[in-house]
Amino acid sequence: MNAVTNPLFGETLPHELQQLLSTPDGPAFEQALDGLVREREQHLFRALGVLARDLHDAVRRLGNDLAQEGVPDSVADARQHLHDVLDMSAKAAHRSLDFAERMRPRAEALQADADQVLANGGDDEAAATLARQARDFAGHCRDGLSDMVLAQSWQDLSGQRIKKVSSFIGSVESSLLELVRLTGALAGGEAPVAAAKVSSQDEADRLLSEFGF
Amino acid sequence: MKILVVDDFSTMRRIVRNLLVELGFSNTLIQEADDGNNAITMLRNAPFDLVVTDWNMPNMTGIDLLRAIRAEPSLKALPVLMVTAENNRDQIIAAAQAGVNGYIVKPFTAVTLKEKLDKIFERLAAQGATA
Repeated sequence: MNAVTNPLFGETLPHELQQLLSTPDGPAFEQALDGLVREREQHLFRALGVLARDLHDAVRRLGNDLAQEGVPDSVADARQHLHDVLDMSAKAAHRSLDFAERMRPRAEALQADADQVLANGGDDEAAATLARQARDFAGHCRDGLSDMVLAQSWQDLSGQRIKKVSSFIGSVESSLLELVRLTGALAGGEAPVAAAKVSSQDEADRLLSEFGF
Repeated sequence: MKILVVDDFSTMRRIVRNLLVELGFSNTLIQEADDGNNAITMLRNAPFDLVVTDWNMPNMTGIDLLRAIRAEPSLKALPVLMVTAENNRDQIIAAAQAGVNGYIVKPFTAVTLKEKLDKIFERLAAQGATA
């Protein structure tokens, strides 16, 4: 059989394979074929590894650049910053709620006092006018305080989103490290048992270098 | 009336508490839990008349709390009002199938809360009258 003109492979057959197809030695053929396949796999895994390393470096470089402006320089720091935002927003919302809870009884008391003055009657028209104004004002305050209390639900709604983003960042980080671990293992390195649990920048760097990336 | 407010966000628990007080419920009879696990323990240890719960919580979610309540003979008749940011159709159906008494999507107003609570108690009263 002439390998070069084989209609199944046509002209695209690599030179090494053309040579192999014409060899009469069966085991040698298989061994050489395995070698070819492995070599191609190694190329792929090395390319993936380099890609992961580049991605990791890019993330780190980005972090370092941003760190000079006072923002986080690692994924763990980024998550911590998000949790800080969550804490700060909760504190701010609680301060507003403190205020509302402090002022509501006062508004209620003012309203009740004004009602009392109006119920008692009397000839003092100026006092009655003032009492009516006080009653209206207290009513508006109560409504306003209620609206303010409700408005604090932004903290819950935005906080839930922050929590989701934080866990997303965590999953991107572990996927990236898993990619490094897999490509490292496939390229011939030993996969560390606890690779998926890597969390710090140093551990990530160490893992990457273990695999030669 | 004793009410248990369940939410992992302390701000939301406090907002719901404020609204309930404004609607005339006693502040001293409102208790709080930060997830479903703690809630179910509190419900087992003391009688409550109403549960107002969030959906998204760590450890035990609101829907699992609802199912746990319905599965427990001593608690299964307890009215449960769900107050949640989850407003997709499947979740609302899941809550309905699990036997929720009311469903409020955040953010909401005191008027909405009052409407849903009134409806829950009207239905319970009607059930009580026919039972």
